[in-house]
Amino acid sequence: MTTEAHDQLQKRLKLLQDRFVERAQSDVETLGRFARQIEQQQLSRLGLVECYQLLHRMAGSAGTFGLPKLGAAARSIENQLKPVVEARDRQTDSPDDPIALPADLAMQIHELTELVQKSDVQTKPETADEHSHQVEDAYEGSHGMQVQVMALAHDTGYLSGLMADLQGYGFACDLVSLSESRAAIENLKQRSGATILLCQDSDLADVLRFRTDHIEKNEHRRFPVVGIGRQNTFESLYRVAEQGATAYFSEPLDMPALAERIESLALERGSRPQGRVLIVDDDKELGERYCLVLNNAGMKTKLVSDPTKMMSALSAFEPDIVLMDVQLRAHSGVTLARMIRYEPRWLGLPIVYLSSEDNPEVQLDALAKGADEFLVKPVTDEYLVRSVRIRCYRARQLSDLMNRDSLTGLLKHSLIKQEVERELARCRRSGQFSCVVMLDLDHFKKVNDTWGHGQGDIVIRTLAHLLRNRLRESDTIGRYGGEEFLVVLSDCPIEQAEELIDDIRARFSELVFTSGDDSFQVTMSAGIAAINDFPLASEAIEAADQALYERKQAGRNGVTVYQRQDRDQDD
Amino acid sequence: MRYEGNDLNKVLYVEDDADIRAIAELALQDVGGFSAKLCSSGAEAVEVAPDFQPDLILLDVMMPEMDGPETLKALRKLEATQTTPVIFMTARIQRTEIEEYLSLGALGVIPKPFDPMTLADEIRRIYQELA
Repeated sequence: MTTEAHDQLQKRLKLLQDRFVERAQSDVETLGRFARQIEQQQLSRLGLVECYQLLHRMAGSAGTFGLPKLGAAARSIENQLKPVVEARDRQTDSPDDPIALPADLAMQIHELTELVQKSDVQTKPETADEHSHQVEDAYEGSHGMQVQVMALAHDTGYLSGLMADLQGYGFACDLVSLSESRAAIENLKQRSGATILLCQDSDLADVLRFRTDHIEKNEHRRFPVVGIGRQNTFESLYRVAEQGATAYFSEPLDMPALAERIESLALERGSRPQGRVLIVDDDKELGERYCLVLNNAGMKTKLVSDPTKMMSALSAFEPDIVLMDVQLRAHSGVTLARMIRYEPRWLGLPIVYLSSEDNPEVQLDALAKGADEFLVKPVTDEYLVRSVRIRCYRARQLSDLMNRDSLTGLLKHSLIKQEVERELARCRRSGQFSCVVMLDLDHFKKVNDTWGHGQGDIVIRTLAHLLRNRLRESDTIGRYGGEEFLVVLSDCPIEQAEELIDDIRARFSELVFTSGDDSFQVTMSAGIAAINDFPLASEAIEAADQALYERKQAGRNGVTVYQRQDRDQDD
Repeated sequence: MRYEGNDLNKVLYVEDDADIRAIAELALQDVGGFSAKLCSSGAEAVEVAPDFQPDLILLDVMMPEMDGPETLKALRKLEATQTTPVIFMTARIQRTEIEEYLSLGALGVIPKPFDPMTLADEIRRIYQELA
């Protein structure tokens, strides 16, 4: 094809894409009406079918017109509707009878609007195969911590309600029938993090076989299988464990416990950066080789070949562990290790020596002077990766124990305050806008008094899960007080912060907690302040707290943004 | 761009979505160099096929009134398209579904959404491998 013909073609493609976007916008409006009917529990069977068909068409066409994310989102909703549509096909109720669907579906439909509006259409459309990858990329950026759950079943009806509940916790959920799992496999293979495979105990053998058949053995770790069943006897549990399920929950399901297990599995099994390693070695080539080997294994590295730069590299890079050459040309590694320990914040930092010294007495001497372990050179690549990875993992576990709140797994009070300070510094450096949010559960004392402290703890943990799932990895979340949370939204303008937090507030208010036969709901309030507006981190926190107080006075279950006082404008 | 050395030239595409028809026309004619004819329904395809004499037929699966498989049955009754190779276009790729289409005598299945820049190549690949 000539260049001219090619340009001509591109122009026409662009024209068609524009036309499609227009139509998609009107389709999304129509879908929005259905979503409102879902919210009001007024969607008729006819409406359901129409909605389903519209989504199906969108799923099949949006990718061709350069809107793969829209297509993928439509397909995900279509898949959730499918069991309902098919179940209804078999029933004989009147086509006008309203159908009950989870409110979260309506939310997902509303979110399609954003995908059409925000879309800057790609000139090169994506094929079906590239799809899931695209979505994956989007998740990395927008809510990097979102946990992926895929339910597999022969009969998807049983798990559909559970999946809707899990979506309420903020997980990205797919429900797939084992007889049509092909697309699911492709989808799974493209994912970079962990995905929890959920199934009934009766399907367990088939799901495990599915995993064996379609996923490489060394990848199985990323796809742990969680069984759900009705039995809770020793024999049934033993059978489940024998088959190889990673976790098992029996009915009646303890939803917060299940959500927590899913989340911790996802965090533990994800293939996200597995550690940060600072390498101190003045043999540049050797050091670079270590870096390469560790990078290939998914770890982040930084090489310091000039020991005088070591201390500043430590603060800038904040490693999980240090790999230290014992004998550098002009310096001793042992002395450098002792220097590192001069700084209180590095007292707990594991230091591992790389040494050709195999005399145990000399090793012991070095250990006494502040190193944690020896790796004797030459080390094989595999051994290096394994020993560094395991030390990073332990170091992280240990620092989590020290730095994180035991109930929620969020950062403790003192650390989250530090995070606000760091963010303020980052804003000054890069010119980005960030926000600090103070969140508080409404009438929490009443929850404790009415339902007991155990239930109160569950409410707190649930909000922590929701926050973790809805926020990006670059955001920081801490437990500030009893029922107070402090969130730092990095590189997030205040309008966007307000929208985001209000969305979380709305989702949280919809969650239903159960205690025995009773159920209850809890709301939260939030105050937001723009970090950039304040000279000190503590003032930004105070302003967010002030906004929270105003929100509580003006009626709870809402979000208030701190308004700058007049005196600030004199600055 | 002329494609040498095969007898695949005339392609009939049956699709109810007008936007997809428009982009398919570009993908088949301008990008792929085929001579393409687009139909909006199975009934129209049955009407058009005897004159057009396609070398290959692309059928969308989900269409109102006559769906893809029904259209295939109707086309098989015509002399002109009794043995013409058929490829289904579908957004639902399930193993059972693919097997069902193949058992109906389809040459292959192409997943939707398709990429307009590579659709023609994909068709040629399936055609050469199997026809």
